[in-house]
Amino acid sequence: MTFRRKLLALFSLTVFLSVTLVAWLVSAMTRRAFDKADSNRTAALVTQFQREFERQGAEVAHQVEAVAASDAVTRMATMLNRASTDSSGYFELAKSLADGYRLDFLEFVDARGNIISSAQWPAKFGYPEATFVNLSSSDQQPAFLKQEELQDSTTLGLFAVRASHVGDRPIYIIGGRRLDKNFLSGLVSPADSRALLYQNRADRFSSDLLVDPAAGNAPAVTTRSADKLAPLIQAVRQSNQEMAVLIHWSADQADDELFHAVPLRGTGTERPLLGILLVGNSRRSYVELKRYIRDTALAVGGGGIVLAIFLSSWAAARVTRRIEQLALASQQVTAGNWNARVEVSGGDEVAQLAESFNRMTAELMNQKERLVQAERVAAWRELARRLAHELKNPLFPLQLTVENLLRARQSDSNQFDEVFRESARTLLAELSNLKGIIGRFSEFSKMPQPQLQSVQVNDVLRAIAQLFQAQLRAPGHPPIACHLELDEQLGAIPADPELLHRALSNLVLNAMDAMPNGGALTLRSRGANGKIIIEVADTGSGLTLEECERIFTPYYTSKQHGTGLGLAIVQSVVSDHGGRIGVRSQPGRGTKFIIELPRNPDTLRSVSAASPVSPGKG
Amino acid sequence: MKRFAWPSLVISSLLTVTLAAAGTRPQYGGTLHVAMRVAPATFDPSDNTQPDSFTRRNLTLLIFETLLTIDSAGRVHPALALSCQAAPGNQRWQFRLRRDVKFHDGTPLTAEIAAASLRAANPSWKVFADGDSVVIESEAVDPELPAELALPRNAIARRSPDGKASGTGPFRIVDWQPGKKLTLAAEENYWGGRPFLNAVEIEMGKTYHDQAIALELGRADLVEVAPEQVHRASMDGRHVSSSEPMELVALLFAREAKTSEEKLLREALALSVERASMRSVLLQGAGQPAAGILPTWMSGYGFVFSAETDLPRARRLREQVRAVPTWTIAYDPSDPVARLLAERVALNARDAGLSLQPAATTSPDIRLVRILLASDPWIALAQAGSVIGLPAPKINAGSAEDLYSAEQAMLATRRLIPLFHLPATYAAAGSLKNWTPGPDGRWNLADAWLESEKP
Repeated sequence: MTFRRKLLALFSLTVFLSVTLVAWLVSAMTRRAFDKADSNRTAALVTQFQREFERQGAEVAHQVEAVAASDAVTRMATMLNRASTDSSGYFELAKSLADGYRLDFLEFVDARGNIISSAQWPAKFGYPEATFVNLSSSDQQPAFLKQEELQDSTTLGLFAVRASHVGDRPIYIIGGRRLDKNFLSGLVSPADSRALLYQNRADRFSSDLLVDPAAGNAPAVTTRSADKLAPLIQAVRQSNQEMAVLIHWSADQADDELFHAVPLRGTGTERPLLGILLVGNSRRSYVELKRYIRDTALAVGGGGIVLAIFLSSWAAARVTRRIEQLALASQQVTAGNWNARVEVSGGDEVAQLAESFNRMTAELMNQKERLVQAERVAAWRELARRLAHELKNPLFPLQLTVENLLRARQSDSNQFDEVFRESARTLLAELSNLKGIIGRFSEFSKMPQPQLQSVQVNDVLRAIAQLFQAQLRAPGHPPIACHLELDEQLGAIPADPELLHRALSNLVLNAMDAMPNGGALTLRSRGANGKIIIEVADTGSGLTLEECERIFTPYYTSKQHGTGLGLAIVQSVVSDHGGRIGVRSQPGRGTKFIIELPRNPDTLRSVSAASPVSPGKG
Repeated sequence: MKRFAWPSLVISSLLTVTLAAAGTRPQYGGTLHVAMRVAPATFDPSDNTQPDSFTRRNLTLLIFETLLTIDSAGRVHPALALSCQAAPGNQRWQFRLRRDVKFHDGTPLTAEIAAASLRAANPSWKVFADGDSVVIESEAVDPELPAELALPRNAIARRSPDGKASGTGPFRIVDWQPGKKLTLAAEENYWGGRPFLNAVEIEMGKTYHDQAIALELGRADLVEVAPEQVHRASMDGRHVSSSEPMELVALLFAREAKTSEEKLLREALALSVERASMRSVLLQGAGQPAAGILPTWMSGYGFVFSAETDLPRARRLREQVRAVPTWTIAYDPSDPVARLLAERVALNARDAGLSLQPAATTSPDIRLVRILLASDPWIALAQAGSVIGLPAPKINAGSAEDLYSAEQAMLATRRLIPLFHLPATYAAAGSLKNWTPGPDGRWNLADAWLESEKP
């Protein structure tokens, strides 16, 4: 992965994490805010119900007081205080007054606790009021909850008790209103809120005991779904404390409803749990708003991420462009173009790096120049030493011959002719030798530029093997076996066949020189990563490490009569083809020359264009 | 001064008596406005599909007449039949018809028409005309036939081919809006003499409350009064008149008691009912608590059947039964007191450990019923038996002992638990004169007259 992509990925990841973190924070804060608002709303509704409960209770108490103070009740109380008066004439009075005073329940109970008249159950006259003991002490007390038994059911009501003390025997007026759908509907509840009432009359939860003001209208709590409230109701019944539970009506979270259960207790010392008020807050608005926020956050976040990627890409390109220039320049330096330079812009660290790089390459160039100069001097010294050595050998016989000839002339004229002839032959031979030496040096200096064409390397190797076949098996010499290990899928490369043939021939000649006692010569070809590898291996005496390091130096030779130019020519040819040559050898274990040649002619051209002046040309 | 005092006193006294007599003298004319609860669909006496009621009986007897009538003492009087003659053994009766009687459509009353009318009302009877007489023959001894013939359902009617029934009563139908209003006009040629009233307009389907208001506002001269309102109406100064208690209010079981345990439970229920307090409170003192089918005034021995509440015994009987079913009790929803009675019975039953649930179901276990009895005890007993689904009791000697035995046998089936006997009560305007309902609740409007308003 490139530095730009890494930088882009880093920027994108940073933006993504930032957006995710912000979204999470917003979501968490929103949820916390909604939970708080939800809690406040529930508390407000519960408080409102309690106020409404108290208000209704006060109204019930007021109405009951009004009934107690009415003329009809006063007359009844007056008449019933007379010993001879029968109460049977008043059994319909409660019903008639209940309608007028908007009371669902109204009973008149005498001082002994027997019902004189009952609006809700007229046939119950004469029967004792079951809760009379508690009720008689509730005179002038606020309204309270009470379960009222009816003909065919039991229901929950808000009651008040007042007494009419006309004579010695008071008449108790017990009036109330039913806690039913109408009562719950009368509660002014905020939007998305509702109130249900569970009448605690059975040991187990029963949906029939749930009073839902929306029953018959969607979305009423159906019988099947009402069972989901059972655990909450059961828990409140056991703990007798307020509780809140989130009810999942369906798989859709928007249908969720947070129910706050408030226990409703009756009067008396035991204060039994008579009912449970369920205040429900729909989560729909919250969920929808949360979804809206989430969708908006996703859209904004997504857009931000895309925008951030674009900006990051631009910033990364801006930042990495100079890095890439540095990298490219470094590659050029690596490839040998030490003269590579990068543009220096700005004053930041990258610019300082570019300046440093430029200074470094300039210093490298200077060092290279100095090195080349030093090498050139060394080469000239070596050349001079070699030339002196080469020339010194023929010059010494020439000198001796001339001195013999002079002495012969001075001493014995008879032998002079013979000495002269002998000396002339020797002089000619040595001059010929000097001429040969000069010719070889001249030839090395005239190495031609390669004329590239499509060359099958395998064909070249086969031709060389064929050429040296006779010498490898020459009589009087230990035989050398030649092995060809060629990759037939190799294909052609751009090369100068003559120069390539010459270079490989030099390697084969060196190999043959290295195997005076015979051995095996292997010519191998193979492809690797856009290159062609040519190996020339022998099983000869091998080279030392120092010889390996210096073997390609011109005029260096390990042989008795070598000029030291063979391998220098080979390196020059390979270098002119854009390739490289190396040697692997150990003393006594043979030597292997490895040539790497590029397949792509463009590589060759670029390398040729960038390559420094060949030593052969110098 | 003393000489003139006595003559002046005599003259003034005579004038006072004369003016008083003129004030109570019957007057012809006027339209009597009547309001009533029931709204019969037809007035044909023989139509058994219509429920029996005081009102229906009275409407029938305004338009139609029976061969005989019977008074509260059980004495038979001639009506359309001038005389009746029973053959030995009381198996053949011959009734000689009154002459010169015409139906409202002008058709003379004949023995054939009368026989046809009786056959329509009693398909099982053998009735035929014999000259100007109607002969009825029966296979069994039937000493109660004259009383039977005095029932309104045996009134003589002439039926035209289109199904309309015409009578010979003191009033004829002028206008009939089924279920709403009936207008009757006095029959000028009534054989018993033209009624004093010119017409009678009867508003039907009116509640007791509406009737009371109509009477209060002067839009009605004669209205019905619910039993529980009788006391209040009297207290309010209304002119209230009641018949003898002739309507039996009872609990009727839908089926026979198949096991002894079931009979025990039914007896427990009968013992748990607080008839006295129900009468005192719910009926406001009207009617009589009843444990027998026949009212005491009719049978003479009604007190023998105790109507007292015996809750301990009821509980003991209940405890003898392991499984107690929940009975459902139904009542006429249009009857305001019926619901209270049913609920009170259910409450009383609960005290005895029984389970009784008032319900508006079509097939209840128990039904609160009202049975309008005839004034003849045997016929009344037969009517009750018919409601229960029992055959009419056999009349042997027709003695009180036989009647008691028959009634006790009927009660022993535990199909019926009597609660009350209720009278028919009416309130009349002060302008309605010479009107008193009969002991059997009959209106007797033929002799009533309306006092005209003073100028």
